[in-house]
Amino acid sequence: MWVYEKKLQFPVNVRKKDLKMANAIFTQFGGPNGELAAALRYLSQRVNMPTSKAKGLLNDIGTEELAHVEMIQALIYQLTKDATPQEYKDAGLQGYYGIWDGSIFPSSPLGEPFTTAYINNVGDPIANIYENLAAEEKARSTYEHLLNLTNEPDIIKPLSFLRQREIIHFQRFGELLDDLQLHKEMKTQFVVRKDDK
Amino acid sequence: MDNMLSKHDLMQKIQELSFCAVELNLFLDTHPNNTQALRDYSYVLSELQKLKLLYSQKYGPLLGFGESYVGSDYWQWVAEDEKWPWEGDMKI
Amino acid sequence: MTNPYFQQKMPNMSNLKLAQAYIPLQEYRNLFNVNEALYHGTIFRELYQPYKSPYPLKF
Repeated sequence: MWVYEKKLQFPVNVRKKDLKMANAIFTQFGGPNGELAAALRYLSQRVNMPTSKAKGLLNDIGTEELAHVEMIQALIYQLTKDATPQEYKDAGLQGYYGIWDGSIFPSSPLGEPFTTAYINNVGDPIANIYENLAAEEKARSTYEHLLNLTNEPDIIKPLSFLRQREIIHFQRFGELLDDLQLHKEMKTQFVVRKDDK
Repeated sequence: MDNMLSKHDLMQKIQELSFCAVELNLFLDTHPNNTQALRDYSYVLSELQKLKLLYSQKYGPLLGFGESYVGSDYWQWVAEDEKWPWEGDMKI
Repeated sequence: MTNPYFQQKMPNMSNLKLAQAYIPLQEYRNLFNVNEALYHGTIFRELYQPYKSPYPLKF
């Protein structure tokens, strides 16, 4: 069950409009290495995990990713708030404006709609952890590219926070890898012993 | 002393403590036997509960769905002068 | 493998299997203060890895 808390995990207070930056940041909303993909990836994987640690961690990181989706929404909203059609045109975003105006739609900066093709879950729990490790690294690298695109402290602070979270998540999934590999070994040994009787 | 805190300052303290709770939660998920981490989590939890109650009594509920204190004269959750979290503090 | 940190954290090099990745288990130590952690993005000093863009931007 999810309950919503009326606060951002980390404050987002943007003083200046920047439509081009908002467009770039869209990738972390509806793009391949974004927070929405992460949330759905982990909240789906959690269901079939073999250990309680795995279910717990995937559940909790998945939940935190939803909080990060919200931060990305806040950034985009504030960076485009009250933008005029002329401003959208000047930023080359008249295509987006034509359909969505100032509303946000889960897509990439190039307008590709969000897809579960970004979520490469399989049935094997250990393979899924490697997928998660890769996803966290890709998200980290994407945040670094976004940080290369701005000098504004108001934007840098929340993006840096989100980037640092990816590093923590990587570490936690790495620790889970050990737990699951051990679990797999123990299961295999037990089965072998049974057959010996 | 805490009663003197503005909405902004109280929210800031809640965000700081809440973040620690999330960090410790994730750490405990992979280190469930770590009693030091558990002890720190309990400390953060008790501080948070105090601050959240204070916040919701003064400024309106932080959570819905039965999780937060609410006053009895208006459903503050949807008050028109309420800023939702994505709207930020600053005027653009 | 001559990385001293790696040898310290892993139990025994001969216990490690081929075709498998290992990430060292984090110890509970070196924490930021409760009111600083949020602004670092982590409570753990050892996981704090800040990024500063090497690309100058002109405005």
